[in-house]
Amino acid sequence: MRRLSYLIGMMLLCSLLLTGCWSSKEIEERSVYVGMAVDLANKTTAEKQLESQGGGTQVQPLITATIQIVPLKSVGRGQQQAESGSIKKYLNVSETGNSIFEIMRNYSLKRDRAVIGHHLKVFVISTELAEKIELHKLLDFLLRDNDIRPSSMVFLSRGKAMDTLESDEPDEIPAFRIRDMVRNKFRNNKIYKEVILTNLDGYFHAKQSFILQNIAAADTGEIEFTGAGIIKGSTNKWIGDLDQENLSAISWIQGDSSGGLLKTVNDRNSIITYEILSGESKIIPKVDGERLSFHVDIKTEGRLIETWDAEETASKAFFLKEAEQKFEQKLETMLQNLMKKMQTEYKVEVAGFGDRLRITHPKVWKKVKDDWDDIFSRATVSFDISLKITDYGSSTE
Amino acid sequence: MFTRSDDKITSTQASIFLTDSVLGAGILTMPRAVVVAGETPDVWLSVLLGGLIVMVLIVVMVKLSQQFPEKTVFQYAGIVIGKVPAFILCWLLIIFFITIAGFEVRVLAEVTLFFLLEGTPMWATMIPFIWVSGYLLFGGLNATVRLFQLILPVSLFVLIVSYLLSIRIFEVDNLLPVLGDGLLPVFKGLKATVLIFAGFEVVMFLVAHMQHPEKAIKAMIAGISVPLAIYFFTIIFVIGGMSIDAILRSTWPTIDLLRSFEVAGLFFERLEFPFLVIWMMQLFCNFTCYFFGASLGISQLLRIKFRPVIFAMMPIIYLASVIPQDINDLFALGDIIGWSGIILFCLIPLPLSIIWLIRRKGLRQDA
Repeated sequence: MRRLSYLIGMMLLCSLLLTGCWSSKEIEERSVYVGMAVDLANKTTAEKQLESQGGGTQVQPLITATIQIVPLKSVGRGQQQAESGSIKKYLNVSETGNSIFEIMRNYSLKRDRAVIGHHLKVFVISTELAEKIELHKLLDFLLRDNDIRPSSMVFLSRGKAMDTLESDEPDEIPAFRIRDMVRNKFRNNKIYKEVILTNLDGYFHAKQSFILQNIAAADTGEIEFTGAGIIKGSTNKWIGDLDQENLSAISWIQGDSSGGLLKTVNDRNSIITYEILSGESKIIPKVDGERLSFHVDIKTEGRLIETWDAEETASKAFFLKEAEQKFEQKLETMLQNLMKKMQTEYKVEVAGFGDRLRITHPKVWKKVKDDWDDIFSRATVSFDISLKITDYGSSTE
Repeated sequence: MFTRSDDKITSTQASIFLTDSVLGAGILTMPRAVVVAGETPDVWLSVLLGGLIVMVLIVVMVKLSQQFPEKTVFQYAGIVIGKVPAFILCWLLIIFFITIAGFEVRVLAEVTLFFLLEGTPMWATMIPFIWVSGYLLFGGLNATVRLFQLILPVSLFVLIVSYLLSIRIFEVDNLLPVLGDGLLPVFKGLKATVLIFAGFEVVMFLVAHMQHPEKAIKAMIAGISVPLAIYFFTIIFVIGGMSIDAILRSTWPTIDLLRSFEVAGLFFERLEFPFLVIWMMQLFCNFTCYFFGASLGISQLLRIKFRPVIFAMMPIIYLASVIPQDINDLFALGDIIGWSGIILFCLIPLPLSIIWLIRRKGLRQDA
């Protein structure tokens, strides 16, 4: 009997808690944002109008943050369906302030549905802003917040960051387009591997220089991956850009070229193109007293995929040998251009040489890591490329 | 019903009880604590070494407990060192158990509120937890352990699957170089890794409840090996997936690892939610271990019945869990618990064993 009364008592107590979800929130009543872009403050006309009536923040504004909200209100059901094809699937809203969190909360002063960051996928920073404000300041809220996942990817943009979140294609959500474009790396090594918030956490703590994929945007709503922007570790600010070919060279050095191409002209001034089937690399650091040097061994196999040379037959051995040499020269030039940019122009190291040194010579690394960018700019780097054309596709004569 | 009158448990069940009493909230913060102490990727070695040290401590405790069949530390301490000193030491142990129990509930509440149920009041997550645990303990040790048996495989499975899916962001380079700074950082890491096994003190009352106490050493070593293996995997996957620099900037590194990738196509896209929900059951088991330990201690020490003690303990544990004012207090409390675990070992089983050895030798000479 006593046992039974305990049981009943417990069950009654539990029933107090079974009244439903305590802090549940309907997803229909939230604005889910999937992309965010930050620019140097440039108030929109709407904001200026609101401000003249007492809205906005009073402090000197610095940052304009634009968020991309999806999906838009499913307005009505029947009558809108006909034209739904031409309606944009997303809404970009901008807000200006100098604390990202304040900006996020200010959206609640403007919109009926509170914004939530659980589904943030891409974060785009304009280089104009990254040049003025340290990246760790811009990203602090994102790294600290409990909604935003550290799996969000980070990009830079040459122009206005908010423009990269525009698209003219009716069914496309620009933030998802950017995220999915990164996956094209297997087709083109001019795309840098995805950099997520967690990676940045590590870079910030190590005070390491790094690069982020650059995005350019056209007025028509088209975008393009245009190389990478360099963030200097010591200042945490943007210092310059690497072009697409430099980025491709970094992929080669990191052995991260599983797809892409090499294009050059041969002696008869015809274009020949090499399709990368595999690309491996090995960075070998050498320490000789105070002198540091690196040797990079690159091994690649691929296919002669396009030749404009009508006079020679692609299947002939000497033609392939000549092509191999041309491609190797081309790759060597690309690598040298990158080294010049890293060592003389910007004096940073973003290709992973430091990481290799940390692994092979941990004691040396400890001594040099604090001014690694500087020390690297004085190091000599040599390359050894072995490129092999294994086949020439389905045409011979 | 199958309630056994003697309430004994099998060796496997005893192993699971020990596993559950070690494996709890520690896994969420452990990588950071260990990396802060060691500052190299080699800290996985410290985890292994720490586990070995704890195994030795456990063997000492088992050996001591085996001298007094059917008796828990709360009963045999008096025989060895006399009533009054034993009374004080046992109270220390009980307070230790209460503190850990409170700590586990609080960590559970903090994590739940931060990642899962933002907006729910803290008491609403903690109090049902304590109630359900108390209800479970009413069934005695046997019923409790049987629930542990059900939960442990599930929580380990979810944990391992989550880790394996993190392979896509795993980079071996983050774990290299091995022993780049020599062995010194590994030993520095030890001071954190011994602490993560705090809670192994339950051995001192667990052996008394075993059907076959003579098999206790094997069972207890098996029981501690599971958390050791889990901690080892955790540190490997978290360092490999995040790098030690990122770990140092993360409050809950293990959760951040799971938050750093999305799995498209699987039933769950984000692993941290299933992981947290399942791990909450594990935290429940963990908490129940200490609830049991503290209640058992008080009931045996003051010679009162077990069930009323459980009722009395509920508010006490709740109060213990709300003592930390903020998250820093909570982490500080976590450290204090780790250290007091070691201090308690030096205060109770170690001197008890030595005194017992001396006294037994003395007795033999008399005879």
